[in-house]
Amino acid sequence: MSVVDHNAIESPRISEADVADYIALLKPRVMSLVIFTALVGLMIAPGHVHPVLAFTSILCIAVGAGASGALNMWYESDIDALMSRTANRPIPRGRITRAEALTFGMTLAFFSVMTLGVLVNWFAGALLAFTIFFYVVIYTMALKRWTAQNIVIGGAAGALPPVVAWVAATGSLSMEPLLLFLIIFFWTPPHFWALALFRSDDYARAGVPMLPVVAGPDATRLQILLYTVVLVAVAFAPWPLGYFDAVYGLTSLVLGGGMLALAINVYRRRQGSQALRATRKLFAFSILYLFALFAVLLLEVVVHALAPSIW
Amino acid sequence: MARAMADNREPDGIVLTEAQKKSRRERSIAIALALGVLVVLFFAVTMVKGPGVLVRPM
Repeated sequence: MSVVDHNAIESPRISEADVADYIALLKPRVMSLVIFTALVGLMIAPGHVHPVLAFTSILCIAVGAGASGALNMWYESDIDALMSRTANRPIPRGRITRAEALTFGMTLAFFSVMTLGVLVNWFAGALLAFTIFFYVVIYTMALKRWTAQNIVIGGAAGALPPVVAWVAATGSLSMEPLLLFLIIFFWTPPHFWALALFRSDDYARAGVPMLPVVAGPDATRLQILLYTVVLVAVAFAPWPLGYFDAVYGLTSLVLGGGMLALAINVYRRRQGSQALRATRKLFAFSILYLFALFAVLLLEVVVHALAPSIW
Repeated sequence: MARAMADNREPDGIVLTEAQKKSRRERSIAIALALGVLVVLFFAVTMVKGPGVLVRPM
């Protein structure tokens, strides 16, 4: 007779996670926007940055953003499993364990911050560390399940990458990166609340107090409109204030008009498929809006570098 | 005698499936590449900065 029941001993879990699962942990779509906005912050900074240092800075910021994504998925795996949008993520699917995601995220966070600090400058490294901390601890752990203002305050984390890039390039802060910060900061609420309006069932099921779940769709529509008005003004202001030039100013005016028209449409159409279509349109256009605004700034730098006599 | 025969057997450890071996190999290659990038990055920045690599601006 055996004292130990060998059938009761579980064999250790052997991971079958492949590289694609770990890449999914980095939230590649969010990372691509972070890379783009950081690139703009770096390119519009005054002075010359050596391409190797520029590449190092963008790589560290991108990896730092990926680390934030992995740590976010580690903490939120319980609610991710309940929402259709996130149920296919590696942890709810059982491809990667929470412990593996935590180790992966912490390793990337450590290396991205230390590499940026050692190779570029410690101000940028510290700011990147703060960005990761803000996204993971302040937004993911504290705000997201506690208040309907989660994405308003948490939006600061998503708005910091161009500031980190500027600091990496110059070693100091000034008004231009703070303007970029404000644009992304005020862009975040209309963008995410538009998403939350047509995903409110998901958020309600997971118990996440997004604004449409807590205050209802009509209050959310009003908030979207108000934040869009502020966003359009904030995005336009750098031109009259003399920080960015007329090409940017006029682009921001045209795009801002489109954004405002779509936000008004969301506010007015509150029932049925028309309301859903209006919300989806605003969500899609908001991505184009931010991309185009930053692309104009990037384009100006490139054109100026290639043909300085045009300016 | 019976004990000696038992010692000659293959160990009853965990045998990885082909899928597990493949994914482990993929992960190992990815880690190697990441470490390689890190080495190249430190080398390139050292070359770019020259003696200035020891200067640590805040």
